[in-house]
Amino acid sequence: MIALLRYQNGVLFRSHRWILPLIGYALLLAVGGAGSGAQSLVNGLDWSAAILVPAVAVLTRSLVTAEPGAARACVAVASGPAKAQLATLVMAFTAGAVLGLAGAGYEALTSGHQAGLLVPLLTGLGTALICALVGSAVGALFNPPVIRHPAAALLCTIAAVVLAWVARISPANAALRGGSASQYSAAWPAGLPLAAALVLVAAAWTASCWLAGRRGE
Amino acid sequence: MRLEAVGKRYGLRQPWIVRGVTTDVAAGTLIRLEGRNGSGKSTLLRIAAGALLPSAGRVTGRPHAGYVPERFPTGLAFSAREYLQHLSRIHGLTGPAGLAAVDEWLERLGATEYAAAPLRTLSKGMCQKVAIAQAVLSRPGLLVLDEAWTGLDQAARGELDAAVRERIADGGTVMYVDHDARLAAEVAERWQLADGEVTVRPGAVAPAVPPPAGRTVTVEVAGVEPGSLPRLERLPGVVSAAADPPSGILTLTVERRHCDAVLRELLRWDGVHVQALRP
Repeated sequence: MIALLRYQNGVLFRSHRWILPLIGYALLLAVGGAGSGAQSLVNGLDWSAAILVPAVAVLTRSLVTAEPGAARACVAVASGPAKAQLATLVMAFTAGAVLGLAGAGYEALTSGHQAGLLVPLLTGLGTALICALVGSAVGALFNPPVIRHPAAALLCTIAAVVLAWVARISPANAALRGGSASQYSAAWPAGLPLAAALVLVAAAWTASCWLAGRRGE
Repeated sequence: MRLEAVGKRYGLRQPWIVRGVTTDVAAGTLIRLEGRNGSGKSTLLRIAAGALLPSAGRVTGRPHAGYVPERFPTGLAFSAREYLQHLSRIHGLTGPAGLAAVDEWLERLGATEYAAAPLRTLSKGMCQKVAIAQAVLSRPGLLVLDEAWTGLDQAARGELDAAVRERIADGGTVMYVDHDARLAAEVAERWQLADGEVTVRPGAVAPAVPPPAGRTVTVEVAGVEPGSLPRLERLPGVVSAAADPPSGILTLTVERRHCDAVLRELLRWDGVHVQALRP
């Protein structure tokens, strides 16, 4: 698995496929900061977490479509198709988590907030984790090998990201609402949303790994 | 390894590409798949290698496999050496052994001078060499070649032939598709594909019965350059190699079951002569 992750790390960073999600995330982060003027730290952290959903979904797409089919087959023979797919999903999620950490750090540094930084920061990181998990689930479900047509993948991803933000049953929505409602409170943003996000990501990754190797190129 | 009622279709309403393939795959055999374009040869090879999972039936007892796809893509951002080092680790070769295997195969296939070039700048033939190297460097028990000779120069074709013979001599299985009569004289089984079904026919040679292991043969050869000694020692079955500089004779101890493959390989080297062969 370590060898597979090292390989996927190379695929992501050598191919420059990380640039588009990074620029998109940075732009949204800057727009969010400019739009609301002198915003509070909690709002900033919520925004940096919310935009992780599309950022991780796009990162996942970048990575699962990065390898040509024959190269993917060579790796699948060496390690098994499901394991190769799992490494791809783990790598994309890890890159998304790094992005989320950087976003939260940016919000903390630019908020001008002095005292009591720790509690809102931890709350915000919890929300970011849930959003990154939901983004990874969206990316795994609405890209090859589950959905192979590029246009269908794009439309489904957009719809799923919007739903993840606004639908009240979405773990990301619950975490974001919880974070705003409990400003400066020590409450962990969510036992339940986190558990729901973990279940969602496990189901999405399982579907993606199960289909890898069962569908053709 | 055994295929049990293996079938493949890409969707419930799609036609079966292959269906009901049941056969044992013996160790130490060379198997050639034959059939028209679109008869399912590539699909069956991918299933045998483990790149593709069957829609019906199963494959059991598959040894560690290496796979050379029909067209190896140039779209990856790695250099040839970086790509092969990644693949050698994924194949389970770690540390110096992996690096040595990568360099050995780059050299054998004549790709060393292009090793640092990005894959996307390489010609089709060079990419094909990279594809072959990643498949054979872990000495897999099952080697699957989908028209792997296409686009290679003569020297590299010879090396691929040698690699196939080494796998067989090691007790491995090689399955391949090739539209020329490559290696036809050494084929143990021919799998003929038509209408999604496979008919197994005998090839030109009987399936190899591995000779008794543990016994060795002494081979004396002349004309081996000192620089080639490490490569010689890495050949499968070579137990030891002792040089005698004044006479220029090299005395090799070779496992009996690998003797044919080692001799075949040595005779392909320039200026090498076999002087004596003792049990």
